[in-house]
Amino acid sequence: MDAKIKETILNPIFKGNPISVLVLGICSALAVTVELKGACVMALSVIAVTALSSLVVSLIRKTIPNRVRIIVQLVVVAMMVILVDQFLKGFAYEVDKQLSVYIGLIITNCIVMGRIEAFALGNKPWPSFLDGLANGAGYGLILIVVAFFRELFGSGTLFGFQVLPAGYVGNGLVILPPMALILLGCVVWVQRSIQKDLQEK
Amino acid sequence: MNTNSNTYTIIYTTFVVVVVAAVLALVSQVLKPRQEANEKAGTISQILTAAQFEFDASSNEAILDFYKANIGEAAIVNAQGETVKTLDSQNAEIVTTAGLKVQNYKFADGSYEIPVYKFNNGTSVVPVYGAGLWGPVWGYIAVAGDLRTIVGAYFDHAGETPGLGGKIKDDPAFRAQFVGKTIDYTAETPFQISKGGSAAANGVDAITGATMTTKGVDAAVNAWLSAYRNALVPAAEEIVDSTAAPVSETIE
Repeated sequence: MDAKIKETILNPIFKGNPISVLVLGICSALAVTVELKGACVMALSVIAVTALSSLVVSLIRKTIPNRVRIIVQLVVVAMMVILVDQFLKGFAYEVDKQLSVYIGLIITNCIVMGRIEAFALGNKPWPSFLDGLANGAGYGLILIVVAFFRELFGSGTLFGFQVLPAGYVGNGLVILPPMALILLGCVVWVQRSIQKDLQEK
Repeated sequence: MNTNSNTYTIIYTTFVVVVVAAVLALVSQVLKPRQEANEKAGTISQILTAAQFEFDASSNEAILDFYKANIGEAAIVNAQGETVKTLDSQNAEIVTTAGLKVQNYKFADGSYEIPVYKFNNGTSVVPVYGAGLWGPVWGYIAVAGDLRTIVGAYFDHAGETPGLGGKIKDDPAFRAQFVGKTIDYTAETPFQISKGGSAAANGVDAITGATMTTKGVDAAVNAWLSAYRNALVPAAEEIVDSTAAPVSETIE
């Protein structure tokens, strides 16, 4: 694997993570991190949509009129999201029932549009596909970390199984969105103390 | 080629939109039969789950076969409790969630027609449908042969917040609360889902942090159970009479 492809894949996972460094996709990160299961499902769907949309936009990148490029991108993303939803409904109904809540949220996910604008418009299809895949994964990683703490302390469970002793009273604050923001802040804090170059003077 | 000219831009966007619309329409048409079959099997599986059946949910056929083997009579009843139409049970004819939606608005004038599913083991299942916080919520309430004691319930939703309102579906503890509770048809609210509601014989506790969703479920359950009053209460009375148990409640 050449160094550039490797960089494309590894950079979004930690060093250039879409949530903690680029601060994209915060809205959905707050909404779907109450439970680990939901976070995992959301992570998988976002990975699929970012990868496929980046691929398609990259394929037609040279023909897109510059003035209407955002709208064209939006049409592609919306089509991908609906297609994913339709196919799941037809072939994996149970999975679709789990996903249906999140599918609509993906269209508004800033990461999808962000990566298309920043990467897919200027790169070949294969690297664009990988970039979408990796950014989805980086997003999913943060989601799972935040959801782990919120489900553990909010409900005392992990993936729905009781982990903390049965007498544990769930912490209501952890279940509500503000705690996701606080936890996200902690994640950014940890990342910045490891990666000194991110710190402002 | 100049991709920034007005003509190009207009032609390009038109082309893109038409292509995308064609792809979506094609996919939707091709997948429709499969999706409808899935929705039907999904609805039946929710009805069976509410009635506390243990069944093989691995394929649509298995679900339909189990339903056909156990359904006694499925019928559409009106406000007076009269059967207006018997559904074809052997072809597993049912009213899906999409079908429930329309009837929801007809309760006030009493001109509604709603389905009841009676199983061979005496359990009857009735649907409920209402508005949650973000979208529709619906469910199925299964009552025992006396038509008052709840044997089980199942709820689902289109877009409630996962982990909060979504718990009406995902939290088995919420559904388990319904088992063994009784419906009080004489009360204005036959059943209550409220904070501390589990103290009453006809109530369960709401979900913490999901006030609006549980209010929606509560409203749906009460509207629909009230609508079924005439279909269920006279039958309930008969059964109580036949076992010579004292009737302590007056039925309106």
